[in-house]
Order: sequence, then C-alpha cells, then structure tokens
Amino acid sequence: MVHALEEIRRLLRPGGSLIDIHPVQEAPLTEVYQRGRVLFAEPRVAYDYDEDIHQAEQALTQCVRRRLFDREHSREFDFLTYGSSVPELRDFLEQANAFHESSIDDAEATREAVFYDRVEGIMKAAGKGAKVAIHERVRIARLKPTG
Amino acid sequence: MPVQVDPENNETRALFEMAEFAGRQVLEIGCGDGRLTWRYAAKAAQVTAIDPYAAGITKARLNLPTELRGRVEFYHRAFDDFAEASEPSAYDLMILSWSLC
Repeated sequence: MVHALEEIRRLLRPGGSLIDIHPVQEAPLTEVYQRGRVLFAEPRVAYDYDEDIHQAEQALTQCVRRRLFDREHSREFDFLTYGSSVPELRDFLEQANAFHESSIDDAEATREAVFYDRVEGIMKAAGKGAKVAIHERVRIARLKPTG
Repeated sequence: MPVQVDPENNETRALFEMAEFAGRQVLEIGCGDGRLTWRYAAKAAQVTAIDPYAAGITKARLNLPTELRGRVEFYHRAFDDFAEASEPSAYDLMILSWSLC
C-alpha cells in the first residue's frame, strides 16, 4: 500500500490532491426502515475487512510521517445501501464483495443465515414499504504531496 | 425498488467539499462500475478511471452517458501496471475510491 501511495505521489502534479475514501474500522449496521423510522439496527455479521482497513490507515499514517503527503482535511459520513428485500440486498452485496478474496467458514455462514432470517422476519412484520439497509461509516480525506 | 446506493448523496457532497474538479485531469483508482465517476465527471476536464476487475469496467463502459464520451475513459488495469506505464505529474487530482483497503 505504501508503494501505491508513492506511485500516486509521482503521478500527481505539484499542487495536486489525493482524495482517499474508505470505510472506518467498525462493522457496518444492518438496518430496517419503515417510513423513515429505524425498526432494527445491528452490526452486520461476517464482516471481515477490519485488517484491510487497519492496513490502509497504517499506510496513510506512514506516508504522512515520511512527509510524502500532508493530510489537509478529513471527515466522516454515513453511506447507506437500501434494498426492498433481504435477498435483493444480499445479492447486491455478494456481487460487490465478489472482488474481495476473503470467504466465510460454515459456522459464520450459518450465523449469517440466522441473522438475515431474523431481519426478514422483522421486515415481514413491518409490512409493505419496509426497507433493509447496510449502513457504513466512511472516512474521506484530502492529502497533498509535500514539497 | 432496485437497490439504491447512497441516495442521500452523502458521498458526493463530501467529495465536492474536499475537491475542486473544474479544469482538472482526474485519475480514479478502483472505479468499479463507475458508480462514483458519474457523479463528478461532468465537472472535470478529463477523467481516467481504472479498476482491476473486468466486470465493473465492462458495466461502466456500457453505462457511459453520451455527454461524457470523450471526457471519461475506463481501463481494466491494476494500479501498479497503470502507474508503471504512466508519465510523472500527469494528474491534478487522484481519487482512491474505496480501493486502498
């Protein structure tokens, strides 16, 4: 990752900027909404990006320490992905996460299935118009090459 | 209802707070299917968007709006390979789009 950031610095013009967007190091929430009201919110199970996120943060910190970049500004925002059903949202996430090489074991898969059954039950009880969402907290930062 | 990604536009708002796009040569790393690219590309002078996964790039090219043709180019390429073949100081703005981790 540090090598990639060194290459980014090489490709940036003097005075240019790097914008980094990545999720913060906490599990996203699975939420159920009905008419804007949150009926359910729990951490999504089988969340396994923590190590990647940790490494990304470390690489950025290292580049700032080495004076490759100055971190000018950063802030966090909420990033939500909504589906009208659990299978729809799970299909979408599976496609999106297909790019990640990690996989979950049988025990975790069972826990995930039980969790999503529960979410589906809550959606059914909520009735028409209920939405399920994955709620992530995301950090965006602007970095400038030094010198 | 199809899946809706960030319908509140929180990501776009944050991006526009952080970066000036007008007249800029932009490189987006990890563009996927162009989800974020579409939101800022009209403001930039030129956008190069890369991703190592073919499926996303194929989708992005298919969905490229007519008005952005000639302004946005998508490449199926890993950043290391792309960087190796690139001249220094080529971009005003680079975006790591959920791709550092």
